[in-house]
Amino acid sequence: MKWLVFAWKNVMRNRRRSLTAMLITAFGTAAVLASGGFALFTYESLEEMTARDSGHVVVAHARGFEGDEDVPLQHGLADATGLAAKFAALPGVRAVAPRVQFSGLISNGDKSAVFVGSGVVPEIDFRLRGPQMNFSAGQSPASNAPAPEVVIGDELARLMKAKVGSSLTLLATTTEGNLNAVDVVVSGIAGVGVPEIDKRLVLADLASVQRLLLSDKVGTLSIYLKETADTEAVAARVRELQPDLAVKTWRDLAVFYQAVRALYNRIFGILGVIMICIVLFAMSNTLGMAVVERTREIGTLRAIGTLPSEVVRNFVFEGMVIGGAGAVAGMVLAGGATVALLFAGIEMPPPPGRSVGYPLFLSFSPLLYGAVTLVVVTLAAAAAWMVSRRAANKPVTEALAHV
Amino acid sequence: MSAEMPTVRLGVLRKSYRVGESSIEALKGVSLDVGGGEMVALTGPSGSGKSTLLNLCGLIDTPDSGSRELCGTALDSLDELSLTRLRREKVGFIFQGFNLVPVMTVYDNVEYPLLLLGVAPAERRRRVLEVLGRVGLEPFALRLPDALSGGQRQRVAIARALIKAPALVIADEPTANLDSATARQIVDLLHELAHERNASVVVATHDERMSSHCDRVVHLIDGELQ
Repeated sequence: MKWLVFAWKNVMRNRRRSLTAMLITAFGTAAVLASGGFALFTYESLEEMTARDSGHVVVAHARGFEGDEDVPLQHGLADATGLAAKFAALPGVRAVAPRVQFSGLISNGDKSAVFVGSGVVPEIDFRLRGPQMNFSAGQSPASNAPAPEVVIGDELARLMKAKVGSSLTLLATTTEGNLNAVDVVVSGIAGVGVPEIDKRLVLADLASVQRLLLSDKVGTLSIYLKETADTEAVAARVRELQPDLAVKTWRDLAVFYQAVRALYNRIFGILGVIMICIVLFAMSNTLGMAVVERTREIGTLRAIGTLPSEVVRNFVFEGMVIGGAGAVAGMVLAGGATVALLFAGIEMPPPPGRSVGYPLFLSFSPLLYGAVTLVVVTLAAAAAWMVSRRAANKPVTEALAHV
Repeated sequence: MSAEMPTVRLGVLRKSYRVGESSIEALKGVSLDVGGGEMVALTGPSGSGKSTLLNLCGLIDTPDSGSRELCGTALDSLDELSLTRLRREKVGFIFQGFNLVPVMTVYDNVEYPLLLLGVAPAERRRRVLEVLGRVGLEPFALRLPDALSGGQRQRVAIARALIKAPALVIADEPTANLDSATARQIVDLLHELAHERNASVVVATHDERMSSHCDRVVHLIDGELQ
């Protein structure tokens, strides 16, 4: 404790210089924490978005993920209801959503367009998708409506000049390889924020889609969990229960998430390295000047019996005091920015390939804050060690003669 | 240590320095014994080798040849770390320019050698207050050196040198930066405390008042004892 007090007093010798090093460290720490917080927020948002879209765990026929079906639902799941009930009983499972992916042509009588659709159980699916699906008009399809209902993407609605209540026709290939058609009514118009998806999106009641495709199978069962962290455990349990089926997690299916994560890790990794260099140079400069100025004092301390390692330790403590104070100030800055952004309502522009922006938030991670603080303090200590060990090992007479 | 054994024994010490292309021989085979509790003055003109001899006595420099012993321990084979540990335990230093640590209070400066020795806090406090009382600086314990006069600073330096009850005190021109009255006080104090604690003192000085108080005066000219 006494040594830390001495370190603090030495740091305060040249307040302006120490303060400058502290501020550089603080801004470096804050920049790393803020960018790290932004990256974490992005990862969390993409995780949620992906999990809400696909489900945390997706179960299909053993060849269901291979994408080589000759006809729709060739590799579908036959006993979907039984399987869904079995998976729903697993601990941590919130809901199981059966789905059928299908595609074909959608027509308003005058004009046709390609659609990519999903047959879903509306009562389950639209609840689970949450804010990911933004309705601009209408509502989700009703399973018991007199005529089959669909939700279509807002871009597709514009192309088809469709409104809520409009009649459209879906044309698709059946499981037998023939063409089949069904008239549907638009119950809602929605978007997911990706124009490429929104101009082809059709979500229909599962039973209607099964009738269109002439099958009672489903393509996949999407298992939604209460906690994303349970994903691997539940996936493993499902594999145990149904070793004959293919099981993938949201992470396996999240190509976009993985790409963004890899990109951000590199960008923010490089930023981190730059910050490390800046902090290292600032600390080396400040402490290096202190060492030179105090060479005579080092000689005195060495003469009265201080070991070189103890001289170095004292400077390392000084580095840790500056680094620690800078890290704390950086945490306060980053924490303040995190809180301020919660209320600032700043919107980021839409990312490439998307039509809507997203709010600018920074995630707070105690692990990130702890790790960055540890790195900054370690760097400061390393800088102090580097600049002081030479002076500490200088011959005592030489150090005492230093002017 | 037996009664006859000197605290310091220097045998035929030689030391030279390189200055550019040439070499200057600072000590030319100096031998000197300093007994327990003895106060020895090293005198001589500038460049006579006083500081070199003082540095070799105080274990902060190494000779080119010759032998050294401190309290019966031969020093020739010891490495720098062992010499530092020996200085920590057995040697106190008083410098011409006081060399106090400016950010430490008087109390902290005096306590420092005991911190190095790992003395328990209560014992440290007792000894620091005791020695500060002896040098008359107890009321100034919490002041920084900058707030003291030259004489007071040198008294702090004496307290720092003697607090660990060293076998040897090295003093380099301790009165050079002081006025006559203060120098007189410092000489008396050093003499008194060194005798009280049975510390051998080797003091390099030009000051007649200082050397007149010493048990023995050793005169150096051109690196040789006269």
